[in-house]
Amino acid sequence: MATPPNTARESFDALYRECARDIYAYVRTLLADDASAEDVTALAFERAFRRRSTFDCRRGSQRGWLFGIARNAALDELRRRRRSAPMLGELPDESARAPEEEADLAVRRTTVRVALAALAPRDRELVALKFHGGLSNAEIAAVLGTTESNAGTRVHRAVTKLREACDAPS
Amino acid sequence: MRHRDPLSDEQRQELDALDRALAGEPVDPALRELEELVREVRATAPQMTPGFAARLEEEVRSGFPTSQERPPLRDRRALAGRRWMLLPAAGSLAAVIAALVIVLGAGSSETITTFSGKPTTFPVERGAQTEEASPSSGGTADSADGSADRADSAPAQRARRSAPSSAAPSVSPPPSAASSNPAGPSTTAIAPARARKVERAAVLALRTPENRFERTTDAVIATVSRFGGIVASSQIGASDVAGGEASFDLRIPTERLDRALAALSRLGHITERNQSLQDITASFTSAQERLTDARAERRGLLRALGRATTQNQVASIKAQLRTVSSRISGLKGELSSLRRRADLSRVDLTVRGSAASGGGGGETWTPGDAAGDALRVIEVLAGVTLVALAVLAPLGLITAAVVLVVRSGRRRRRESALDPA
Repeated sequence: MATPPNTARESFDALYRECARDIYAYVRTLLADDASAEDVTALAFERAFRRRSTFDCRRGSQRGWLFGIARNAALDELRRRRRSAPMLGELPDESARAPEEEADLAVRRTTVRVALAALAPRDRELVALKFHGGLSNAEIAAVLGTTESNAGTRVHRAVTKLREACDAPS
Repeated sequence: MRHRDPLSDEQRQELDALDRALAGEPVDPALRELEELVREVRATAPQMTPGFAARLEEEVRSGFPTSQERPPLRDRRALAGRRWMLLPAAGSLAAVIAALVIVLGAGSSETITTFSGKPTTFPVERGAQTEEASPSSGGTADSADGSADRADSAPAQRARRSAPSSAAPSVSPPPSAASSNPAGPSTTAIAPARARKVERAAVLALRTPENRFERTTDAVIATVSRFGGIVASSQIGASDVAGGEASFDLRIPTERLDRALAALSRLGHITERNQSLQDITASFTSAQERLTDARAERRGLLRALGRATTQNQVASIKAQLRTVSSRISGLKGELSSLRRRADLSRVDLTVRGSAASGGGGGETWTPGDAAGDALRVIEVLAGVTLVALAVLAPLGLITAAVVLVVRSGRRRRRESALDPA
């Protein structure tokens, strides 16, 4: 069922405020490049804005719908660049941005960043959808075009790999 | 299968704990590690720069006035509109297909160009309706004259209908019929199709108001005469059955059969009408060849008779000549019979007086007729719908399959970006 135009606009504004940072974090994790992430995030919101009146709540949540759009845009960008997104070398140096962090905390976060970067792109995407996007397994299933059970299995597998990578000696 | 990964209880538990941790809710102490993981991963989440956040905010607030995409994104409403535009086109296509099927189906009765030795059925037009002829409805051989009297070539009739100058009947119409000319020109150039001999037969049943029964039976005889036909036999019982019943065994010149049937059909309400045809070319050709052989044999015997020198030889040859002459006579009779079958069509006509429809003084259109017509219309509509479905359903399935394959391929191509290079 399509939403009326005015309501759709208000709903879109609310969606933007709720999801903008998460979308950017997800896209940035996929693309590993600030400039591309900004372009793709803006493109995703533009596409969502133009299609806002066609959103059908019976087919899933607005959040999942928006992440689906962002995912398509990001994958198109990845294909266009024809190279995978290496995470390790291009990750933002959070420790540099937060010099006040304690050394122990900085070490732990670096470990997580390295472990995340070591994941396969598909697993990294699942972690981003789950942790940055905060999507439920049903929403992830809708974004990936699979079943909820399969999405849960894949998320669990990716999280397990991440935990193992975090526990692995550096 | 890729999509069948049932979660174990342990996995479910961990996923639930993960969801609780992401929601900021307390987690089972045994799974505290997940809580820490969530905290750490979220802490490493990339952040928008203030400059980009401000620009994006401005774009959203102003409704993306400067599109980043070339060409602009297609609105689904536009696509939906296009789908609506496609509906009439699809409907028109279906209608054209259905019309083609109907036209071709109806046209097949006008374009028969091949023949077979067995009875063939073909539709007979009656107004807007079409009826299927029954192969078993043709008359049987008439034993009165030792041969069948059914006759002529329906395809030749059709050829004449499409090319009026090509008529070539083998039956000479009576002078009266020729002069009144209800049947049109009698003989012209011989069409190639006339080389074949086909016998035709028809069964026609009429219903007429009781008070018009006698007039109708009289009109039948007059009509048959008008078209140069004969009434081979008739049985008229005005009071036997309620309303009366009459049956006629008619012979109509084949070239005029269609017009005669049309005229007879107008005498009452048609309750049954079907036609059949049978190719008898093979029998005809065979008889002709045997006759030619027999004549040649007789000529040879005559020559031998001229050369005979003894009385015994003469007697023997004369005996053979009698046998051959007898055979020639038989073959001539057989050929004549076959010609009659081809040239004269047999029509079994039944006229029934209807007490229920009496008093009208004319061919009234009764509620029963209306119900019958309505039923027929429904049958035709159902047939057209069925044909349209038979055509469109596979097309729809193929289209759906193509769409699914295309979507699946596009998704795979997109996701290939996530595969390691």
